[in-house]
Amino acid sequence: MSEIEREGDEEFAERMGRVLRASETFGDTFEEDLVRAIRADRQIDQPPPRRPTPLTPVWWRTPAIVRISPAVGLALAASLVVAASLGTLGVALKSYQRTGMVVAERVHDTVHVVRFVFVGKVNSVSLVGDFNGWGAMAMPLVASGSGETWVVNVPLPRGRHEYAFVVDGKRWVADPFGMSNTDDFNTESSIIAVGS
Amino acid sequence: MSSDAELVARATSGDVVAFSVLSRRYRDKYTRFAVRMVGSRDEAEDVLQSAFIRAYRALGSCRDPSRFGAWLYQIVANECRTYVVRQARRERRLVRDEHVLYSAAISSSGVDSRDTLEDVQYALGQLDAVHREAFVMKYVEELSYEEMAEITGANTSALKMRVKRACARLRELLEEVHDV
Repeated sequence: MSEIEREGDEEFAERMGRVLRASETFGDTFEEDLVRAIRADRQIDQPPPRRPTPLTPVWWRTPAIVRISPAVGLALAASLVVAASLGTLGVALKSYQRTGMVVAERVHDTVHVVRFVFVGKVNSVSLVGDFNGWGAMAMPLVASGSGETWVVNVPLPRGRHEYAFVVDGKRWVADPFGMSNTDDFNTESSIIAVGS
Repeated sequence: MSSDAELVARATSGDVVAFSVLSRRYRDKYTRFAVRMVGSRDEAEDVLQSAFIRAYRALGSCRDPSRFGAWLYQIVANECRTYVVRQARRERRLVRDEHVLYSAAISSSGVDSRDTLEDVQYALGQLDAVHREAFVMKYVEELSYEEMAEITGANTSALKMRVKRACARLRELLEEVHDV
């Protein structure tokens, strides 16, 4: 008969409990991460976004007068990169100054921070999408480096989201490399799948 | 030092920092529980984060803010239980014979594994969520059956039965290990 078999139930359970009572601790950043996740969580709790209707006098339906050569247009399209990926905190995938990239950070199991990057010689860029009610000024990208790389980090819940960029306050630009969607008004946007 | 009730009131009105103080006050208390339930420290940290976020979102439903800790424990326990159930589903898809995996893990250690934390934790991980939870609450967190009943919503008779079955299963598993 083994020692375990000789022990009474209570004695055995107490012995297992003693082993399992070894202390466990987490790192000092637990609260910092928690606050960050809660703030991200609150942002995504805004009222459900709606796409503007044809009757809504919104900025992006105003015809934009933009003179752009085919070559410049092609270069601009090629330089526009947006991507998304899951990963652990702070994992950089590539250098976006050269290739364009997104670093996605998992804030918690249902929220991820997605970095949207736009590369081009423009004066301003905003990110619009179903996650911000398609508001043109809701999420301006910030220029970094040479001033041609524009970046914004957005906390997004897991799922499918539509988005596009607004260049210089009036030009609607979808991601040429991502899946696209064209709505009833023939406006093209892009699709990102977070957490898939 | 602010009371739990004061911090809950501030957090309910949107003060995230107040909630972080509550988190700091309670998270160590629930860390070991989460690690024992989930099986790994990294995953336990994620689960605890999710539980605390859920708690923040549900603060309005905390009926007695002076007993915030007990209320939070319920959420942590629920989150851990849910995680364990999902984890078990995932693992069933990957590993059909857990006993083979367990025996292989113990054998490969090459040492007398009796009573080591790693092995007891592994055996604990073979229990289903409710039995694991009952054992951890009773013999690791050393809660009374009344406290366990408040947290889990189960009655004390059911909890005693869960603990008894958990002990029996743990004993079987560890006997098998020693026979390897």
